[in-house]
Amino acid sequence: MSRHSLRGPLRYSRAMEAADLSHHTSRRFNEDLERVRTKVLAMGGFVEEQLHRALTALVEGDSTLGQSVAMEDYKVNGMEVSIDEECSRILATRAPTAGDLRLVVATIKTITDLERIGDECEKVGLIAARLANVERPVDRYREVKHLGRTLQVIMHDTLDAFARMDADLALRTARQDRIVDEEYEAIQRQSITFMMEDPRQIRRALDIMWVVRSLERVGDHAKNICEYVIYMVHGKDVRHTSLDAIERELKDRGAQRR
Amino acid sequence: MLALRLLLAALGGWLLGLLLGRLWLGVALVLAAMLAWELLRLLRLVAWLRRNSDEHAPESSGPWGDAVALILRLYRRKRYHKQRLLRVLRELRQSTAAMPDGVVVLNPQAEMLWFNRTAARLLSLRGRGDVGLRIENLVRYPEFVHYLRSGDYSNPVVVRTTSGTDLHISMQMVPYGAGQSLLLVRDVTRQAQLEAMRKDFVANASHELRSPLTVIAGYLETLAQDPALDPVLAPPLAEMQRQGQRMNAILSDLLELSKLEASEREVVGEPIDVAALLAQLRQDVLARAVHPGQVQLQVDSAQQLIGDPAQIHSAFGNLVDNAAKYTPASGSITLRWWSDAEGGHLSVTDTGVGIAPEHIPRLTERFYRADPGRSRVTGGSGLGLAIVKHVLQRHGAQLAIDSTEGQGSRFTCHFPPQRLHVAPQSSRAAAL
Repeated sequence: MSRHSLRGPLRYSRAMEAADLSHHTSRRFNEDLERVRTKVLAMGGFVEEQLHRALTALVEGDSTLGQSVAMEDYKVNGMEVSIDEECSRILATRAPTAGDLRLVVATIKTITDLERIGDECEKVGLIAARLANVERPVDRYREVKHLGRTLQVIMHDTLDAFARMDADLALRTARQDRIVDEEYEAIQRQSITFMMEDPRQIRRALDIMWVVRSLERVGDHAKNICEYVIYMVHGKDVRHTSLDAIERELKDRGAQRR
Repeated sequence: MLALRLLLAALGGWLLGLLLGRLWLGVALVLAAMLAWELLRLLRLVAWLRRNSDEHAPESSGPWGDAVALILRLYRRKRYHKQRLLRVLRELRQSTAAMPDGVVVLNPQAEMLWFNRTAARLLSLRGRGDVGLRIENLVRYPEFVHYLRSGDYSNPVVVRTTSGTDLHISMQMVPYGAGQSLLLVRDVTRQAQLEAMRKDFVANASHELRSPLTVIAGYLETLAQDPALDPVLAPPLAEMQRQGQRMNAILSDLLELSKLEASEREVVGEPIDVAALLAQLRQDVLARAVHPGQVQLQVDSAQQLIGDPAQIHSAFGNLVDNAAKYTPASGSITLRWWSDAEGGHLSVTDTGVGIAPEHIPRLTERFYRADPGRSRVTGGSGLGLAIVKHVLQRHGAQLAIDSTEGQGSRFTCHFPPQRLHVAPQSSRAAAL
């Protein structure tokens, strides 16, 4: 892989450097790409907030907050449509190549995953609103809270990796998904125990199962976004490849470059 | 000096010419040699200048030597000034870096040019790597992004970090120079916690005071109805009951206020039929034992208001209640609802006692009394207008107060246009 393609996407983040601007025949093109990136991150920021509020609604038993999370999901959908249109426009009018093309393609995929994360937040919000009316367990959803915290950090790192075009951070974050899966398993086992101990808890335990299932999906979508970031930076499709293989490959490439 | 050397060279050339037998050839040869020598020195000087270092200066005498000395002096002066500037700059950066508040320098595109350590810590930015990135790409809190785009930087924006440590961060943009801005970042977690504690305290205290009050009020009621009671005790008992009710009202209002304060977001709400609400409030006033002679209703708009029904009822109810309290039986109250391009407006006009101008700005403060003596008689909680203010704030609306002492007052609520909703045809037909 040539050095050129590696440097390609990095240059948008350094729009200040005059030398980089001359790379593109049109300054407007650069601005278009930069605007799309900013819009994706604004959407990401809103989804982060939705996740935070959905989890707060669950842990604090705030049914109004849960409902408002569900009601505001339409904003995420709106942002997805708007970014999608902009990407189509760039593809049609600018015919980007190499790193620019990868940025647009990765953006289109990223917003799909962000939108799905938004949907999962909506589900968590609705269930939180329903659970607010029943008595909270003694541990106040400690495990779910912990899983939520982990996911919030993952979401934040994922979007940071996207903003900084940082493939290493993306790889490290993608690895975190394993922790999420483990916690998901643990909560599942715990819920089964609860249900066996006290059949009256089944309804609530089932709801909690839905919540953690949604959260686990959020982790998967975040992992997908990390893979798009690696694709965007290195021009390599790493989906359905084991993370160790990716890491080896990236290391080799780094050695070659040196 | 130079002339002397030229003269000497010409003389030497002439002598050489004499020796060779060709006079001018000798002169030309010597002059050419001299020229070559001078050129060589010039080349050496250029090579030295190109190295851009003041070491190994070519040693020469004459005008070249002077030139070298002068250039060396320029070099040293430049270096001295540069070092002084660098030192000042370093000190400046060190002092800003050591500031307890975070500072980020932004260019017109909101790209970060520089930030100090505190800002990096609070916003989780990374050393040099993040310089040149747009700030909103890394600081993605929706409130902040909205604030950045709004261009209204008169107030700071406070966000709660969603990942890692739980912090409240206040950020304010300070524009300066040619489109550049300074973003001041402060950790306000402690203030936010204190504020939360205060709110919790008010809510809990009002809640806890309620149960003993209910017991006291219950026994007072039983006592008042006791036929064996000494008639002398009847008036004090009645007064105790009245004050008990008043305390109860204050506690209810305090609870309502703390509930309103707990969530600062704007309410979404649902369409409210303002005409029906005002008609009901009018009935409530007319049902009072003492009420103003006339209560007029003026509905000039079929538009509905989008808001929280309970909160809007409480706000309008408080306004109407105040008007009824301060208007004598001979006076009148007018309730008016209208809408225009600026939005929806509701006004409550009375011909009551009015308010002196110095009290108006402070009316919405809690427990603020324009006339302490009178309000105790009328039995208000002193929190009514504070509730109105909070409800309106949460609906993006504003309260305007006009009053002339002795002639009456007008309280107007201005709602923004996006709070209006065109009523469906059927209900309008029903209203007609």
